Parts: sequence; C-alpha cells; structure tokens
Amino acid sequence: MTPKVPAVLGELAQVLMRNAVPGVPDAERANALGLSAALLGLAAETWDGAAHNLVVENRAIRDLLGLAGEDGDLHLTALGAENARLRARLIDAHVAAEIAEDTARQEAIWAELRASTERRLISVSLV
Amino acid sequence: MPGAADIVVDRLERISGGASRETYRFRLAWRDGGEVRRRQLILRRDPPASLIDTERRVEFEAYRAFAGSAVPVPEMLWLEEGSEALDHPFFIAEELTGFQASPQMLFAGGYEAVLAKVAQRKWTILGEIARADPIALGLDDWMPAPAPDDCWRRELAHWEAILDSDEAEPLPIARAAIRWLKAHPPPPAQKLSVVHGDYRTGNFLYDEAGEIHGVLDWEMAHLGDPLEDLAWGFNPVWQFGRGLEGGLAPKAEAVAIWVRASGLMADPDALHWWTLFNCVKGQAIWVGSARAFIDGGNKEPIMIYPAWWLLNAQDRAILKVMGRL
Repeated sequence: MTPKVPAVLGELAQVLMRNAVPGVPDAERANALGLSAALLGLAAETWDGAAHNLVVENRAIRDLLGLAGEDGDLHLTALGAENARLRARLIDAHVAAEIAEDTARQEAIWAELRASTERRLISVSLV
Repeated sequence: MPGAADIVVDRLERISGGASRETYRFRLAWRDGGEVRRRQLILRRDPPASLIDTERRVEFEAYRAFAGSAVPVPEMLWLEEGSEALDHPFFIAEELTGFQASPQMLFAGGYEAVLAKVAQRKWTILGEIARADPIALGLDDWMPAPAPDDCWRRELAHWEAILDSDEAEPLPIARAAIRWLKAHPPPPAQKLSVVHGDYRTGNFLYDEAGEIHGVLDWEMAHLGDPLEDLAWGFNPVWQFGRGLEGGLAPKAEAVAIWVRASGLMADPDALHWWTLFNCVKGQAIWVGSARAFIDGGNKEPIMIYPAWWLLNAQDRAILKVMGRL
C-alpha cells in the first residue's frame, strides 16, 4: 500500500499521543481516532499477505516478460522496489504490444493487471 | 462589517474530512448599533499541502456565481488570499445547518424512501450547472475558457501531469487508460459550461425529505465540457458498492434527468470517454494525496485514507469502464 505501512504506523502513533492528552476538542478527537482506527484496520488486514503477494506478482510479471531472476531479499522494501521496476517494464511491454497490434500479448497483460488488483483487494473496496 | 463592534468568535470546531481544505465551523457575534447579532459560519483554510492544489479565489467565485440561482449554494462572505492573518489563505461562508452530506448516512437505511427524490434533485441541479452560461456569470474572469475541441485535451494533460509528478510507483492500469483516451478523443464540447469538478454523492447537503440544500466543494471548478461533470459521478467508486450511479439510480435514469434539466445531449460514446477520463482523474487525486503525505507536506490521517482505500479500487474502476473486469 502507498504510503508505506511503517511510515503510516509511525504517524498514527503520534496522532494517538496527541489525542491522549486532555483538552483536545471532542469532535476533533473523535475524527482523528476514528480515522486512525480505520487505517490500523487496513494495515492489519494486509499485513500477513504483503510479502507473499509481492513475491507472487513479481514472479508472474517475470514469467510474462520472459525475465530471469527471483526475489532473494524478502524485506517488503526490497520486494516493493523490485515490483516497481517490474511494473515499469510491464508498461513498456504493454505499449509495445499495442504498437505491434499483438492482441494475444495485450490480453495476457490485461489478465495480469486484473490479477494485480485482486491481490490488492481490501475488504472495504468500493469496486 | 464597517459598523460592527464587540466582535466575538467562539464555538470554533474543526469539521471532519476536508482533505483539500481545512474546514471549521464557528459562531460570530457582533454588535451593530444597539443590536447584538450572531451568525453560524464556515471557515475554509488552505492546508500546508493538499490532496488537490487549487486557487481558493476560483472556488470562492464559483460559489458566488450561483448564489440565488437554481443551484443551491451557501453564501460566500469574505475571501483572504494573503497568509498574514491565519498562516494560509482562507474564506468564510455561511453555514447551512440541519442537513447531512454523508453518503454512509444516506445509504444506512433511514433515507431509503427519499433516495429517488435525492437522485432527481441531484442530477437536475447538475443539469442547471451545465445549462448556465459561464460568461454571463462572469466566471471567465477567473477561469480560463478553452475552445470546445480543446476541453478534453486540456483536462487530460492536466491530470496526466499530476500523475507524472506525484506517482510513488508505476501505474500500468492508469497509463493504459491514458493511452486509450488519447487514441480515441471525444467530440468537441457541445457548449462551454461551468464544471463543478467534484459533483458526487457526498458533496451536497440533503434533508430527510430528499431535498438538496447546498452544493459544496467547488475547489476543482473550471470551464469545460459539461459531460465531464456528468461523468465524474459515473466513476464506479462513487457507486459506494450499491450498483447504482452515485448509489442512487441506474445510469439511464440519471442521464435522462440531466438531459431534461440541462437541455443538452449525452452522447453515449462521449460519456464513456469522460467516465474513463474521470477514473484517471480520480487516480491522480488519490496519488496526490499519498504524495502530500510522503513528502511531509501534510501528515494528517485524512491524506492516507483516500490512497489506501481508493488507489486499487480506482484501478478496478478503470478496468470495469474499459470492459476488462
């Protein structure tokens, strides 16, 4: 998820600290805590599958693009950086397939893009 | 307020939401001659960094242009474009009290009997905005007036540039949509209209009878193709998971209401183009919200929530509009 979870959790910790002291107007406190709770819920929901989904997606894009390699570093930052590199390559491949009017290749890329949104699906998704 | 004395501001309270402007309500009391007067007001102040960056003058003038018209808006009172008084520019308007804006409340069950009325009013008012003459309203003094065949190009270039500058990671689905939009441009605008820019369920005040009392959040107002405004509400994320446009009505019904009220046409292919465009615009806004947090310009939780909640949903909306989901 963007912004990245650790940065958000750090900021939410400060929000909670600020709202733990007396004197914060009730409406402001309710808003800050309600929104923080919603964000914590989303972070919790995505936590367990985050690394798995990136590894699966990186592998799928490499297969689609015919690229060698594997994810050796399983830190989320490393996996995310590799995912960004691969998705940039996927955009280039999509453009090339459109120019070449290679509909089979385009369909394969669309299938991966559709799958990428399934991997990122959250329980409160509007679509 | 040249004759005002003993001016008092109290009951200041920040209103939730407001990712593009900080919004506060307060009570203003003053003495005018021998009489004490009181008024509930709204303060909209620019935040340090915003989900969208727009001129508060444009928003202020858009509200003012529709005062007293068939488009209900709160009365605008004062605009301060300098930063000396409150650190950032701001404006003050009347507060329309006793109404709701929340889509969640609208769809929670208590308003089921009046949703058809809300739909009727929602798209009728949007039709009135589209029907209005922006030149007669004087809005071309504040908003550039593009040529009818340039409306789509200008808007697409604007939001693509925001994606270019703000994206934190590649967006292959939005980029594919942009390529399709450039390859299949819509026809020229049938007229130059005021485009509210964020006309959706959640940005108007409704009551228990289904009447709409105020159209809010004009910060993205501009002049352009009226179909842009109609199509923004057809961005699938604004269905709120209810399978109806704006959570309120089937598309054909919404379009028919708008056509009757505006006196304009809604060519299906052009409307499809503008709907996909608005999905790209939405993505640029959510990406901008994430960027404001990442760069440290605005660390409020309200900047995170749109990105976490909507970035993937918006990608799925693009797929849906393109017939890929």
